[in-house]
This record gives sequence, C-alpha cells and structure tokens, in this order.
Amino acid sequence: MKRPSPPLITLIAFVAAAATAPWIISDGSISLLFEVLLMLAMAQLWNLLAGHTGLVSMGLQCFVGLGGYTTIFASNSLSVSPYWVLPLAPLVCGLVAAASAILLFRLRDAYFSISTWVFSEVMAMLVFITPGLGHVTGMTLETARAIDYETFLVVNFWIAAAIAGASVLGIYLLMRSRLGLSMASVRDDEIAATSIGVNVWRNRFIAYVVAAAGCGLAGGLSFLAALFITVTTAFDLNWVVAMIFIVIIGGIGTLEGPIVGTVIYYGMRELFTNVFALSGSWYLIALGAVAVITMLIAPTGVWPLIRDRFAIEWLSIKREVPYRYASEAGATRKRSIPQDQSYFV
Amino acid sequence: MVWLGTIINGVLLGGLYGLFGVGLALVFGVTRIVNIMHGEFIALSAFIALGISMLFPQVHPLLLIVPVVVISFGLGYALQALFINRAMRLPDPLAPLLLTFGLSVIVRNLMVETFGVSPRRIGQGDFAQLSIDLFGISIGVLPVVTLTLAIALFLALQFVLRRTEIGRIVRATADNAEVVRLMGVKPSAVYNIVMGLSFALAGIAGLMLALRTAFTPFSGVERLLISFEVVVLGGLGSFWGAMLGGIALGVAQLVGLRLNSNSGFLYGNLVFFVFVMLRPNGLFGARQ
Repeated sequence: MKRPSPPLITLIAFVAAAATAPWIISDGSISLLFEVLLMLAMAQLWNLLAGHTGLVSMGLQCFVGLGGYTTIFASNSLSVSPYWVLPLAPLVCGLVAAASAILLFRLRDAYFSISTWVFSEVMAMLVFITPGLGHVTGMTLETARAIDYETFLVVNFWIAAAIAGASVLGIYLLMRSRLGLSMASVRDDEIAATSIGVNVWRNRFIAYVVAAAGCGLAGGLSFLAALFITVTTAFDLNWVVAMIFIVIIGGIGTLEGPIVGTVIYYGMRELFTNVFALSGSWYLIALGAVAVITMLIAPTGVWPLIRDRFAIEWLSIKREVPYRYASEAGATRKRSIPQDQSYFV
Repeated sequence: MVWLGTIINGVLLGGLYGLFGVGLALVFGVTRIVNIMHGEFIALSAFIALGISMLFPQVHPLLLIVPVVVISFGLGYALQALFINRAMRLPDPLAPLLLTFGLSVIVRNLMVETFGVSPRRIGQGDFAQLSIDLFGISIGVLPVVTLTLAIALFLALQFVLRRTEIGRIVRATADNAEVVRLMGVKPSAVYNIVMGLSFALAGIAGLMLALRTAFTPFSGVERLLISFEVVVLGGLGSFWGAMLGGIALGVAQLVGLRLNSNSGFLYGNLVFFVFVMLRPNGLFGARQ
C-alpha cells in the first residue's frame, strides 16, 4: 500500500483536532485559537500575494475592515443572523478589490505597495464619514440578541478552523496547478513569463481578488465574534503588520512558513504578556528584534532553515523537473540549469 | 478671502510635508531602499528636541536644529553601517525594506515604553501661536519659517549634489554602485553618509512638527504615509517633485477640511490617487 503523503496526514490530523478541540481544551484556549486560526488564514493570503505572486501589499487591512463592516451592517439592516450574511463579506471585498485593481495595477513595486495603503486609508475615511455606519462610536451587532451564546464560541471556532484549513489547502492545490505555476513565473521574472505567453495582469488580478475576499471573510468573522466594530480597529494597519511579520519570520513563499510564523507570533505574545507579565510594547519590541535578526541571519525565514537542516518535506509545493528532461539536461546541459530553486517551485 | 487664506496656509503646510518626504526621497534615489523607519525617526527626533528643550529651556526652539541635526546624522550613519548595509548585500531586494520595518516596530515601542503615550509638545507656545495679519488673512509665523527652511534645505541639498565632490560621488554611486568601486569609492561608506543626511532631514522635520502640534510615539506612522505620498507624487528620488508633492497634499488637506471638517486626510489621499493615476511615475519622474 502506498504511504499517505504528509499533506494528507496533516489535513486529517487538522480536521480531527479542530472537531474535537472544544471538548478537550478550555474556552479561553478556544478563543485564543480562534484568533490564531484567522490570523493564519490572513498570513497565508498575504503570502499568496507577496510570496507566490510578487505583489507586496500594505493595504490588506482594508478588506479586513470592509468585511467586518459588511457583516455587521448587513445583519443589522436586514435583521437576520450574522452567519447568513457572512458570505456577503468576501463578495463585497472581492468586488471592491476587482474594481480597485484596475487602478492600482497601473502602479508597480513600491508605488503599488504604498498606494494599497493609501487606498485602505481612503476606504476607512469613507466608512467614517458615511452616515449610518456609526461614525466615531462604531457599530454594535444588534442581532446579537438572537445568538445562542452556548454554542457561539464553538461555532465561530469551527468556522475559523474551516477558513484557515481552506486557505492552506486552497493555496496548496493552487500552487500545484497550472495557474499556480504561472503565478510563480510572474513573481520570478515578469518579462520571461510574458514571453512564454503568461498573462501577467490576469494572474495578479486573480491572486489579488482571492486574497481580498479571503481577508474580508476573516475580518467579517472576527468582528462578528467581537459583536462590535469601529473604524480604528477595523482598518488598523496592525492587521497587515502582523501578516507581514508572520510571513517574513516563518518563511516567505512557502506554505509552512506562515504556519511556523503564526506559532512564533502568538507563542511570543503569550510568553511575554502572560508568563513574563510584561506590557504589550515589550512583546512588540521583541518581535521587531526577531524580525531584524531573521533578516540578517536567515533572510529566507525560519522554516527554510529547519527544512534544509533536517531535510524534511511537509507541505512542499516544489516541482520536480520531469525525469525525461532532468536526465537529458543533466547529461548534456548540466552547467546551464539554473541552480536557484525558485525556478522549480 | 477665506479660500485664499486656506490655500496659502495649505502651501505653508506643504513645506512641512515636503520636509517629511525629502529624506525618504534622498535615500530611495541613492540606495533604492524604501525606508519604513522614516516616520518613526520623525517622531523620535521630536522627542529628542523635546528632551533638549527641557534641559535648556532658555534656548530659542529654532536653535534646537543644531543638536537635532548632529544627533540624527549620527544615528542614521550608525544604523546604516550596523544593519542596513548588511541587508543590502543579500540577493533579496525586499530584505532592507523588511529590516527597516522590524526596526521601526522596535523604535516605536521603545518610545512608548520610554516616553509614554500621552501627547507632548515643545513648551514655547508663544512662538507657535505668533501670526501676522496680511490683508485680513492670518498667517502663522512658524509655518512661514518652516516653508522657508524647507526651500533653503532643498536648495542646499541640490547644491551639494550638483556642485560638490561628495555630491558627485553620491550621484555616481546612485547610478552604478559596481563601477564606482573601480574608481576607489566604497559604496557602503557613501550609503552611510546618505542615510545620515536623510535622518538629519527627518530630524529637522520632526523638530518643526514638534513646534507645530502635539505628538505621541504613534505620530510617526501617520507621517510615514504622508512622506511616502510626497515621494511618490514627486517621482521617487526627485527633490523638487517632493516639494511640489508636499504642497499639493497640504492644500488638498486644508481645502478638504474646510469642505468637511470630519474628512481628516481624505482629500489629500484622493489628490494623491488622481495624480498617481495620471502620472504613474510621479510629477517629475521619467515618462514610461
């Protein structure tokens, strides 16, 4: 019998753990895990843009905020359970992303990164000055009365686990598909990608809309669980700052990187604020120091370091050169094979 | 008349914004680094200026420029020499950006721990409040001083880069860091000086900010966005573009606030978008 692959084992273990967790661990741990899983999903999506497609966005908090406002506003004005309107969050965010991409994609590299941030600030101010969205005081989820608090925490946790699982599985399958390969080619060399017939604009567009919709869903659930939203918390730059940290520390352009990064990010937070009982700013200082040290010592991140040291494969999206070509190339054109592994991922 | 006053004050505010951006533009022009720390450094300089003014309360606040420039230059030089040059040697072009990102988080939170989060300002209120009445339009003395200082600094920077030996070396390094090595120039040493200069300019901007309004350790992040916008508007690496970009943002912000007092920086951001869409390489950038 063929041995099951590590990704399949991971998937089964994750589903089993998520399904049974509410009976095994305390409510406090469940709400921590809820936060962790949503952040993992968002980090994976930032990595889909920056690590797999080459689009460094500093504005994904825009969609976290829009997703939150969409969910709470729709639930309040239609007087229905917020769970019914949660799918509107990714829909609205996907549409906004698609419309803004037409403008933002005219810009390149640093211009693009900065403009996505400016775009997020514009959306935040528009939400702020629009009547009926709470202005300074924010909005409370009025349909919260209808919510069954016995199961509220657990249901949210399961949805968060589904979102996180779907983000990892989805990006895994995507990066192993033809579309994923063309996205990687856009990241590695735009001109070469164009010359072999890859539509650069379309690839980036798909990745951007998917990331925005995913962040919208995560933001929607996050503020649904909080029962309350304000412009400052919803469009907070710290959302994207956390995503960037997790991805850089863990390992950009890999699927395992954001998982390792999320563990480090929340592990350090719990350690500093609960075990050492230090203020939040010391935790952030330590996190900044970890990022600086990572950049100077292991610029590719922690996961690639572990992977290469112990020669392990987990959720690898690396592609093998087909046997036929590998032997041919090995025999006759050995020296001209690009050694940079990014050509093969 | 009210509108004329708004526009004049917007232009004066633009002088401060131009100062925010010029250091960032200088570093980008020479090293191609997007320095995320720039905003934090503006806030840190404000605190440094506050500290000195508390030690020597009788000194006129504008004279604080001298110590602030010296300290800032030293900090920028040291930072580049100790950290950023190492990151620049890595093959990944994102490395220096992410490094300055990590440093900015450290600096911001160290400021929170050291100075607290309550708003501070440099005490000499009478100087900040001084204004002159020009045909019924009230114009603050401090903003006029800021704009004048900004223009003087831009001229000086332009002179240094165009007419002096060190300026020629800096421009040559910006053009081709490999070739200048053949002429006996060490690019990393040039980068140290450029980062020092950039921090000195950010230091002056921080001082002018501290004289103008109250500030907290979080003031840097908002100013970083404005600095970025100024630089992008001007075309990355262009100084006069940065000045004009700053003025455009200053006017847009004050006009916007007069139209809707809740709008914050919304109109500035919208003007940024319109300009950037019309000229994706900036007002003074090369056409594609």
